[in-house]
Amino acid sequence: MKKFPKHLADAAFTMFLLAACFALCLLIQTVCGAHTLIPAIFILGTFLTALATNGYLYGILSALASVLIFEFVFELPYFSLYFTLTDNLVTSVIMIVIACMTCTLTTKIKKQETLKSQSEMEKMRADLLRAVSHDLRTPLTTIYGASSAMLEAGDGLSAAQKQQMLQSIREDAAWLTRMVENLLSITRLDDSNVKIIKTSTVLDEFLDAALIKFHKRYPEQEVSVELPDEFITIEMDALLIEQVVINILENAVCHAKGMSILSLKVSVLSEKAVFEISDNGCGIEKERLKTLFTGYYQTENLPPDSRRSNAGIGLSVCAAIIRAHGGTITARNSESGGALFCFTLNTEETADEQ
Amino acid sequence: MNSKYKVLIVEDEKNICHLIGALLEADGYQAVPARDFANGKMLYFSHRPDLMILDLGLPDGDGMDLLREIRKDSLVPVIVLSARADESDKVAALDLGANDYVTKPFSSAELMARVRSALRTAARYSGTALSPDGTFTRDGLLIDYGARRVFINQSEIKLTHTEFDILSYLSRCSGKVVTYSAIIKEIWGYSDSGSVKKLQVNMANIRKKLGAKPGKKNYIENELGIGYRM
Repeated sequence: MKKFPKHLADAAFTMFLLAACFALCLLIQTVCGAHTLIPAIFILGTFLTALATNGYLYGILSALASVLIFEFVFELPYFSLYFTLTDNLVTSVIMIVIACMTCTLTTKIKKQETLKSQSEMEKMRADLLRAVSHDLRTPLTTIYGASSAMLEAGDGLSAAQKQQMLQSIREDAAWLTRMVENLLSITRLDDSNVKIIKTSTVLDEFLDAALIKFHKRYPEQEVSVELPDEFITIEMDALLIEQVVINILENAVCHAKGMSILSLKVSVLSEKAVFEISDNGCGIEKERLKTLFTGYYQTENLPPDSRRSNAGIGLSVCAAIIRAHGGTITARNSESGGALFCFTLNTEETADEQ
Repeated sequence: MNSKYKVLIVEDEKNICHLIGALLEADGYQAVPARDFANGKMLYFSHRPDLMILDLGLPDGDGMDLLREIRKDSLVPVIVLSARADESDKVAALDLGANDYVTKPFSSAELMARVRSALRTAARYSGTALSPDGTFTRDGLLIDYGARRVFINQSEIKLTHTEFDILSYLSRCSGKVVTYSAIIKEIWGYSDSGSVKKLQVNMANIRKKLGAKPGKKNYIENELGIGYRM
């Protein structure tokens, strides 16, 4: 169904260019009488047609039409198709060849471009998967090793050692849980055929649920919250946006050295809800800022520090989720030196008016 | 003190089943494990448990069907175990009469808190724990059902008629997750496209009046996309 208007548009474009070339040539011939320019103009027209339309069809049609028009109107003898004259025939053949080659080339380039963007996406996914699988081994080693040690050499271990091992099993299991949650979010987004299901969510209910989840993981960390008084609803996939908020807060806890205040502020600016999460820690290094939201794919060369990688994947996931919601996400260092993450989502008023 | 409580665990994963059993026994409950639908049903009718922990994905049947059959028989509290993304499953289970749900992976503290809370609710339903003077109290909050008045630390909170109805309904179901549709049905008796919004606005006002702070321990918990728990 969708192909028909596209073909129509291509055909119209081809006709328009041919007509334009024809008019231009007519003008040149009547004004200066020189017709050496004419083949070049038709070739340009064919080239443009091939560039702007899909496939070979219109480029080749345009080339054939150009040759016919050229022979019929502009080449001696006028108003007849006189191919027997050797140089006329050669001109025509050369024009068709050039037109076809241009057409082939531009089509090839177009194909390569789509292939390239597809393979880039594939590469990104493969890199991510490789990096993640690599990171999964560290906590698994701890869990497997510590639990087998306790089963097999339980009697030889001191109570403190056992306690230590249990502690690390729990920590690494918690890390794995978070990683799996992030991966689940990505797979939910990657399936481009399934649009995320957004439901109308009340802002303060959402923040309450997200912060309670965050406090379960980091009971020590206070978060100061500031939000508008009015009743605000946002169309969102609450589980995914919850993940964004938790990932950013978690990033601060893990990386903002010297942080004493972590705050979350939401304001509404022209039908957009602006979420700002800031800390007064050490800030983000300049070169990390550029690749902060895509950086996970490049962390393979870093020392195998699982926590650092998790933050990396966390922020990449944040960016993907916010993009899928049609919002924006940025990170910078505030004047006071700490990191400031900001993302926006449309409030529901805009959705209602549609 | 918990020894009189019998808890039926219907969970097909061996390790999880053992884990829950061990946790319950450590707290003094009597654990009755079942690893599939057929066994779960049989053990329910032979043991008459005080509480049931039910995994929805069973090898030989749908946990939801088991819940339906049990609800025909009794109001025994049921806690559903579920995976993260199955929000619609959670709502369906709650609307079928499940009391609560716990998302896998869960911490032992979380599960045991839910177990205690579900048993408390059950005790109240059977009439033993309801205050004789028709009030509800928790952490400084006092709801006087008869006089339709609400107090926090002795100072009165002014609620509208609808707000009071919602709060009193939630408090009577305390410990249980109440879905949006259940509240709407109870309060307005009918539902239309604007019902959830209407409920959400009322809830926002109630939260404000009760002095709720996001992320802090509040009287009412939000179960996003599902309902509320008091």
